[in-house]
Amino acid sequence: MAIVSPYSNTSVLILDDLPEMRSSLRSQLASLGCEKVSVSGNVKDALELCKQNRFDVILCDFYLSGGTDGQQFLEYLRNRRIIGRSTVFVMVTAEKGYDNVVTAAECLPDDYLLKPFTADALKSRIERLVEKKKRLAKADAMQDKGNWPEVIAACEEIIAAKDRHLVDAMRIKGNALIMAGRTENAVEFYQQMIAMRPMPWAQLGLARALHLSGDMTGGKNTLQSLIIDSPKMMAAYDLLGRMHQESGDHDEALAVLDSACEISPNSLARHRAIASVAEETGDYSRVEQALNQVVKKTRNSPLRDTSDFARLGNALTEMGEPGKAVQLLEEARTSFKEDANNPLLSAVEAVAQQKAGRPEQAAQALTRAMQGGVSNLPQEIALAVAKACLATGKQDEGENILKKLVQSSPDATGLHGKVSAVLRDNGLAERAEQLVAESKREIIQLNNEAVRRARAGQLTAAAEMLVEAANRLPGNVQIVTNASFALLFDVYTNGLDPAKIRMAQQFQQSAQTQNPKHPKLAEITELMGRIRSKYAAGKT
Amino acid sequence: MDFADLAAFTIHDAKNRLALVATRAEANGDAETLRGILESSASLTRLLAYYKAEKESLGAEIDARVPADLVNELALDIGKQTTLTISADWSGAPQLWFYDENLVRMVLLNALYNALRFAQKNIVISAVDRNEWLEFSIADDGAGFPPEQLGEQQNMQPVSRDGTGLGLYLAQRVAALHRNAGRTGRIELNNEGGAVFRLLLPQ
Repeated sequence: MAIVSPYSNTSVLILDDLPEMRSSLRSQLASLGCEKVSVSGNVKDALELCKQNRFDVILCDFYLSGGTDGQQFLEYLRNRRIIGRSTVFVMVTAEKGYDNVVTAAECLPDDYLLKPFTADALKSRIERLVEKKKRLAKADAMQDKGNWPEVIAACEEIIAAKDRHLVDAMRIKGNALIMAGRTENAVEFYQQMIAMRPMPWAQLGLARALHLSGDMTGGKNTLQSLIIDSPKMMAAYDLLGRMHQESGDHDEALAVLDSACEISPNSLARHRAIASVAEETGDYSRVEQALNQVVKKTRNSPLRDTSDFARLGNALTEMGEPGKAVQLLEEARTSFKEDANNPLLSAVEAVAQQKAGRPEQAAQALTRAMQGGVSNLPQEIALAVAKACLATGKQDEGENILKKLVQSSPDATGLHGKVSAVLRDNGLAERAEQLVAESKREIIQLNNEAVRRARAGQLTAAAEMLVEAANRLPGNVQIVTNASFALLFDVYTNGLDPAKIRMAQQFQQSAQTQNPKHPKLAEITELMGRIRSKYAAGKT
Repeated sequence: MDFADLAAFTIHDAKNRLALVATRAEANGDAETLRGILESSASLTRLLAYYKAEKESLGAEIDARVPADLVNELALDIGKQTTLTISADWSGAPQLWFYDENLVRMVLLNALYNALRFAQKNIVISAVDRNEWLEFSIADDGAGFPPEQLGEQQNMQPVSRDGTGLGLYLAQRVAALHRNAGRTGRIELNNEGGAVFRLLLPQ
């Protein structure tokens, strides 16, 4: 009688640049009864396979040829959500800890397998990991969806069962508390974990939670002691650097990130972080230095990121080398076919072309940057497009983009500084203050007008006004919550309207994701309850 | 390139080659060759760990682990490399404990290969909850340790006359990296009808 292996249906991807290692792993898997095995000798093919198929297990060698390693590959897969959390990722290496470092928990492999190993060891490891994924399946699926309350519920179930996955569930729960905006609960939760055992990931979690709850001193102290205990915990340097930067301590931020770079010179994330800090201080030669490393390491790798090229191009332009910038940006545009119309790349190119004395090419680049519309662009890219508009003489378009940015976040002084800087760099310093103030005033007037109409009993008109504004400025949580509230108040007073309730709920959800602690959210929930009881009573 | 980096690359390369030969030996059912390969590879791992310990860069990555899994995995792995009976006992093991699994595996593997040299018929690998301590032990039915090695191990030298010093030295270093609430891990060697190697890790 044929014995069906429990692994006959487990799909496995092997990624190793050495052909003998691939066939060796393959024969070990065959001896376990794995029938669905895909094999790849380079990152490019492996990436394609991951995009087209879902694998239960990925066995990836740490050392890969072609300028990348297994850790970079994993970070790319996870950051772009090419693989879900249900996929087991095992890093295969001849030596643990020779030069690999601990990165963000999100990007850690599920396990390391040290060569050489027997087929039995491989089997028991895969068994263990597949069983763990099964136990965490619900929490993982909810994490992939970003449904944090459900993640917390799923974890609490496992924690209550006190089985071998207790600590795994606690780790996921801590992160979910942070993601759900429950930072105070997260602080308390991590403090309890640390009292049990001061594990590095719990200390990092505590620092993240303290940071988000506004306790910068507490967060920095936690990270400083964590770095002493676990000097290879790269995520601790990243967060500490970011916190110094937020407190305006750019030199401290750079010093922390530099020391991280010394420990982990191959990590792209660190060079990118240094570039961000230096960009903010206007230290473009540091930006160039850092991003040159990244571009050099990834130029021929399928893991390259177009925005590295764009930011390097911007730094070159700022340093008075628009010719060099144009060369780099044109290379990126022509060789990364799928990203030829990338708005950031195009916006940066427009500025560089203009400064290199090629206004026609600048205009073409700007058209590419704006062809997908500018209303839904992320902040950083919208700023770059505005800058390109101003540089090429399209002042009105540029100012409109900047105005909308300010109106989306009327309280974000950091952003207002960036907006002012863009205007100042284009010789419009006196416009900066004016534009910010004007933009804020318009929002206040709009809110006041809506309130006035509501008081005058024109509830529908007030709601329509706010809905229009909320659709135009989806990032302004105050406007979005006011729109939701106005719609519901209209319904409460003037009668049930399912379309309005649906719209109100969409605004409520959008505000909830952006700022779960916004005070207006509680009022919305309360009003929703009143609507329910009013109309439920009416029906009976 | 300095010697240390060159040595690290060479070890890496050698282990890759050993991995290929190991798969072949395993597929052919050649237990003796498999053991020779895996044992050589384990000693290369210790060499690199020793280098890191000397440079004070041997750190423990402590996390919640399942002792039963480790004991089981080691028994399966070593069982393939010998005709002796290797059994695992995790009946008294705690469900979870906090330790660096890679370092602990390295220490236990070394003790197991020592036991393989002296055991008559049986080796027992176990994990037991000893009230705020986790005790891993490797017990064989051989002639036992020489009297001067018995008891709690302290201040071991990396090289001793019979060449087993490096393993014990590292075991001690790894034990010492496991500290919590004022308690530090330790190694004990005893003769109880055969040699018993114990690694005790604090809660």
